[in-house]
Amino acid sequence: MKIKSKLLLISFLLFQAVLLAQDNITISGTVMDDQGQPLPGASIVLQGTTTGIQTDFDGNYRLENIPGNGTLVFSYVGFTTQMVPINNRTTIDLTMQEDTQNLDEVVVVGYGTQKKADLTGSIATVDAEQIEKTPSANPVQSLQGKVAGVQIVSPGSPGASPTVRIRGLGTYSNATSLLYVVDGMFYSNIDFLNPNDIKSMNVLKDASSSAIYGVRAANGVIIIETKSGGKNRKPTIEYNGYTGIQRAQNVLQMANAEQFVTMAVESGSEADVQFILNAMQRYGRSRINPNVPDVNTDWYDEIIRDGLIQNHSISVTGGTDNVSYSLGTNYFSQEGLLDMKNEYERFNIRSKLDVDVLDNLKMGVNTVFSNATQQTPENSAWFKAYFAVPILPVFDDMNTEATPTRYANAQALGYRGTQNPFPDMDYNDNRLKIRKLLANIYLETDLIKDKLTFKTTYNIDFSALEERYVNLPYNMGFGDQRISDINRKQNNYYNQIWDNVLTYSDTYAEDHNVTVMAGTSFRDEASNRFEATGSDIAGINYETSWYLDFADPLSFNNNVEEENKRIYGQSYFGRVSYNFKNRYLLYGTFRADRSSKFTKEQWGYFPSVGAGWVISQEPFMENVGFFDFLKLRAAWGRLGNDNVPASAGANTIENETVDLGDTPNTGVTATSTYTDLTWEVVEELDFGFNMNTFNNRLSLEADYYIRDTEDAIMPVYIPIADQTISRNSGVIRNSGVEIALNWSDEITSDFTYTVGANFTTVKNEAIEIEDERGYIDSGSAEFRQRTMEGEPLYAFYGYETTGVYQNQAQIDADPVAQSAIANGQNIQPGYLIFNDRDGDGAITDQDRTVLGSFLPKFTYGGNLGLNYKDFGFSMNFYGQSGNKILNRKRGEVIFTNDTNMDADLAKNRWHGEGTSNSYPSSAGLRNSWNQRLSNFWVEDGDFFRIQNIQLAYTLRGDKLKGNMPDFKFTLTAERPLTLFSYNGFNPEVSDGVDRQTYPVPAIYTIGVNVKL
Amino acid sequence: MKRNNNLLYKVVFLLIAMIAIQSCSDKFEEREGQLNADDLDYTATEDMVQALIGSYYVIATRGWEEPLLLSVRGDDVNAGGLGDQQPFADTDNFVYDQGYWMYNSLWNVHYGDIVELNTQIELIENFKDFADESEKATADQYIAEIKVMRAWLHFNLARVWNDVFIIESTQPDAEIANGTATKQEMMQYISDQMDEAIPVLPNLRPNERTDIPGGVTRYTAFALKAMAHMEMEDYQGMADACAAIINSNKFSLYPDFYSLFKKPGELSDESLFELQFSDYGSSTSDEFYHLYAPFGPQGWTPARENASDGWGFYEPSMKFIKFMLDRDEAVRLETSVLWTDRGIAELQTDPNYATLPAFVNNTTRDGDVINDYARALFSSGKHYLPSVQLTDQRNDYGGGKNMIVIRYAEILLMYAEALTRGASGSGMTADQAVNLVRSRAGMPSISGVSSDDVMDEKFAELGMEWGIRYYDMIRLDDYSELSYDGRTFTADKEPLPYPQAQVDALPTLGGGSSED
Repeated sequence: MKIKSKLLLISFLLFQAVLLAQDNITISGTVMDDQGQPLPGASIVLQGTTTGIQTDFDGNYRLENIPGNGTLVFSYVGFTTQMVPINNRTTIDLTMQEDTQNLDEVVVVGYGTQKKADLTGSIATVDAEQIEKTPSANPVQSLQGKVAGVQIVSPGSPGASPTVRIRGLGTYSNATSLLYVVDGMFYSNIDFLNPNDIKSMNVLKDASSSAIYGVRAANGVIIIETKSGGKNRKPTIEYNGYTGIQRAQNVLQMANAEQFVTMAVESGSEADVQFILNAMQRYGRSRINPNVPDVNTDWYDEIIRDGLIQNHSISVTGGTDNVSYSLGTNYFSQEGLLDMKNEYERFNIRSKLDVDVLDNLKMGVNTVFSNATQQTPENSAWFKAYFAVPILPVFDDMNTEATPTRYANAQALGYRGTQNPFPDMDYNDNRLKIRKLLANIYLETDLIKDKLTFKTTYNIDFSALEERYVNLPYNMGFGDQRISDINRKQNNYYNQIWDNVLTYSDTYAEDHNVTVMAGTSFRDEASNRFEATGSDIAGINYETSWYLDFADPLSFNNNVEEENKRIYGQSYFGRVSYNFKNRYLLYGTFRADRSSKFTKEQWGYFPSVGAGWVISQEPFMENVGFFDFLKLRAAWGRLGNDNVPASAGANTIENETVDLGDTPNTGVTATSTYTDLTWEVVEELDFGFNMNTFNNRLSLEADYYIRDTEDAIMPVYIPIADQTISRNSGVIRNSGVEIALNWSDEITSDFTYTVGANFTTVKNEAIEIEDERGYIDSGSAEFRQRTMEGEPLYAFYGYETTGVYQNQAQIDADPVAQSAIANGQNIQPGYLIFNDRDGDGAITDQDRTVLGSFLPKFTYGGNLGLNYKDFGFSMNFYGQSGNKILNRKRGEVIFTNDTNMDADLAKNRWHGEGTSNSYPSSAGLRNSWNQRLSNFWVEDGDFFRIQNIQLAYTLRGDKLKGNMPDFKFTLTAERPLTLFSYNGFNPEVSDGVDRQTYPVPAIYTIGVNVKL
Repeated sequence: MKRNNNLLYKVVFLLIAMIAIQSCSDKFEEREGQLNADDLDYTATEDMVQALIGSYYVIATRGWEEPLLLSVRGDDVNAGGLGDQQPFADTDNFVYDQGYWMYNSLWNVHYGDIVELNTQIELIENFKDFADESEKATADQYIAEIKVMRAWLHFNLARVWNDVFIIESTQPDAEIANGTATKQEMMQYISDQMDEAIPVLPNLRPNERTDIPGGVTRYTAFALKAMAHMEMEDYQGMADACAAIINSNKFSLYPDFYSLFKKPGELSDESLFELQFSDYGSSTSDEFYHLYAPFGPQGWTPARENASDGWGFYEPSMKFIKFMLDRDEAVRLETSVLWTDRGIAELQTDPNYATLPAFVNNTTRDGDVINDYARALFSSGKHYLPSVQLTDQRNDYGGGKNMIVIRYAEILLMYAEALTRGASGSGMTADQAVNLVRSRAGMPSISGVSSDDVMDEKFAELGMEWGIRYYDMIRLDDYSELSYDGRTFTADKEPLPYPQAQVDALPTLGGGSSED
């Protein structure tokens, strides 16, 4: 309605001449906000007419020819509309109050906007203020814990993108990336956006809300609007920046040399004892304990460092009568915690320009250019630091063969591998250059003034990813030597989208409000990947020679690859929203999508409907004062997921080279199976209500949803052909409840506070699997994950332990143990007792069961905000429970059993009757009986975290001498405290398998914001 | 009204324009960056050989675990000590774990390759449709070569699991539904397949082939036929197939037993079927290797610096070593075993072996020093390539070494065994065949050989190779030989259990359907 009245106003101004002159007065005045600042762009309309005007830069207005007995309507987005009788006054100044109820708040939906009060689906909005609190390169990170139903798994590595899941895991292929719509352009990753440039992020959670995006919407949609200028505004120059330090949290305590030696001796392995003797011979004996070598390396301590983080943005926003603009630049840099060349930096330039070209023709251009360099970590170092023995030093001068640095090599002590993580860190240089350009241009015209508009938009996303992996040559002694090589990858993406949208909006008979939208869209996504590897680089010691040009030409043979992809999409879509007296809401969308990705059925049709009942608008509720706003809503929608591998549609050919008579011969092989995929279809039902009460101080939003993915693409196993083929072969269900509560109040006009909380439950399960076996396996044979009907996707699958054999008598009395012994298995006290689930008296494959999922069943977040005069304090927290983590760092004892382990495992081991009923003995750890995947290796991933604490102080310019601007200072602690029981230093593991997960740092920053 | 008509016209025009401009339907049928099998130019029949070369690629790409699991249960070889791959060591001790990944992998990779070879046959048949008469004959020959490769894979599967599927198609649903063939049926099938292949295969020694050096010939097919009849215990059929090879007079034993398993012995006149690997003498170009590291010692001081050591997963048994020493074997023992000091000391704890021949030491003929390592006492010499024979700057253990699958010595001994078990020979006598093998190994001639003599000769000659020993012993039900060093072998241990994943996926394997 607000927009409509503005348009009416504009049309009035244009046709002023036709108005009849009356005998009237002239009124002028100033409009201020509740902070006492002038409010430019507020609209003042004479009630019952189209006569009106907007305030200028300084909040001033002047209206001529107004009847002295009329009433003026003052309105501005986000403020309560006020009716002021004129009473023949010629000056009317007004302070507008912020509208806490925000019934007029507008939410961005696909290809348009909608009043929040009119929504029938589930959309959550996070505004700029919330986004800016999080010191992160990637804006999505700031959603963690803030939106019910959205799970964010933070990455630790600088420049890496978080894993985002909306309402569980709806697709089997791990390509769960959601659709980000940035000012109309489609992205699967928004690492190129500066959080400061974002005006709002709108999370379209249910299928009804996102169905307008059809085939790309299945994993959820986040619509991002970047900041715009505003008409008739003075240029505002803003600097926003912070700088800070990052520190590893909860670093895992490893077994020290003494604990390690104890474990090795208890293992009963002669070889291990020999290795320790070797270490004592080589490095001497500890003076404190002469049975321990004089080395005690804490490997995590050696490889972790503190890192710096900083961000600086400068922007200018403003506008004239017919132009609005927003321009800016930004620099961000972040160091990694891993003590190697591991960092990220990004430089952004952006501009957004909207121009009224003609009376009824608007045009705008929006560009974002981002240039980032990421030095990616060598994650193997995290794993090596876990298993490297503490009796190995970092450097070893006796390892004279080692060049260029004399790093210690565990092979010198008799171990199988070099173990030392430092060569990985020192002799690898992994650089990724990411250049992205977003550009779009639009034209918008009114076909019927204020009722029918046509908008055409052309979007381009050009991305160039330049990867360079340099393996420097080294010799670690003992035959562990490497020649240099360089792997270069060039990935170019050129995506275009052309949208055409017609929007019709009208009101009939006062009470019937209708908006109809219809549009078309054409997509063209082209990508090219080029990869080459060359080895034996001449001049490898100089970075200036790190080009393939300097590689041995022979080494390119079969090491050059190119891959090209081009996918076209074509769509027709429409939306109808109708409400009667703002009381009864109806909503429907439809999208037809065609994708060249699929060979079988290229067209998909995605409808959605929604209905709402705003009970608080009913006449019978007028006297029920308790509810300020109450709405019940229900919505249903279908959408598609084409974010799956393209269908091959035919047997494909590969070139292969084989040795015949010491000569390379190239032949062809053909696949025997092929895929005929079509998209996955998500169907979702969402029921919810919104309620405001206690004078709008309390708002409550709750949703219940059932989200089914039909035709889910799963890797079906084809026995005999030994192929795993992606086929539309399952149904996945996610269901749950989301609740968001917010309370805000002011104690005095100087002291306001807000408290908020959100809760989410997700039940993830496979409902149907069309595979001969009835299950889909993933993970490796040793660390099995299985998807079965009625169980969550990728569930950890193994044995249940019920305790530890404490003595021989217990073993003798246990028929299960006796059956294993009869079969040749050795079982000792200190070995795990397994649950013989099928009761056949032996531990077999049939005794395995689901041990849990990496998806949390319950997540919760909360916030607290206090504002007192110029001080602000805010705190967010976040937690999750019900998820499991496979501690693969420990579990890899199945591959190599003479390495180190964490202190918890060393301390709590069984080492005599009664010492432990859950941990096996040191010898037991090395026996296959105990090594099989069981709940001993799968741990709880629950955690609670203080996500963000921020203290802000605004220094008002007017309190200082001269014409000073406002300064806002902030102190931020991001993730200062995380509580969990998992034996790792990071409970955030996106796929639940912790082998070499990068730790997530705590970040402490100091920031300043200046507005001129 | 006029205004409204105008507007309607405008809107309709816009909609049509929006739809028309954006329709580029032909683009939706293209698949960029993909070469379909249908898109190959089958009229270019000269390219037909590429499908055959692809088949040699398929047969040579063996997982590292395949030869290990095929042979670890024999009394000639042990799994190496405890450590990782514990269930592999358990398998060596006849403690089987249906869920162990190696079982599943051996099954999968073998059957996967069978289906892939069937696809290669289809490719060649497509070319054959456009071929002239002489090219049609070539196509038939190529298909016959692939049938031999496929037969070898079927043969291994039946040896390990007894009842397995015969798969001849690319979409094997029907064959799976028909259920498994017994071992006897499988061996008859292989024999029949070889009968089909033999007439169209080249009458050459593999190393005489110039188009595909080392490729399959009719003698490879005869060898497989002989092996199938051996498994059927049809000794006459076995003798006849062996005689066809022997009487061709094309094959001879490579004079230097030690070098037969090194670079100089590659594609020798002894070789009937050999998987070929190479880096073509280049330090940087693309290599085609088998992963030999599991066979190698876990610690060594190589003669050529920086050569990598192995994993220690394949240990010649003390029983084999003592058996060889008892026979005064020299070159065959030296070739079969890499010694560590620890292993020698362990051997000498038995007073009967206190004094050992000079070649029993931890330095190989080519100067590689085998160091003591935790996993095992000895490692395999037949899978060892001296570090000095590696290409410059290539460090992989055994990098580029070929793997002999069937050699003439085995044929001679099979022939001799068949004769001692009552088959009538044609040409050579059993004594002659055995003595050919013995004389190359520097062993004195014997006469009047018995079946037991031949089995001992096979043990000495073919130890560590492909589980030949194990499958001989279970064929003869000679469980006492397999019950060694604390192991007890019983009849039920003969086949491995079907991998659990296959039982789940293949109801006709007898595991019940997935619904239960």
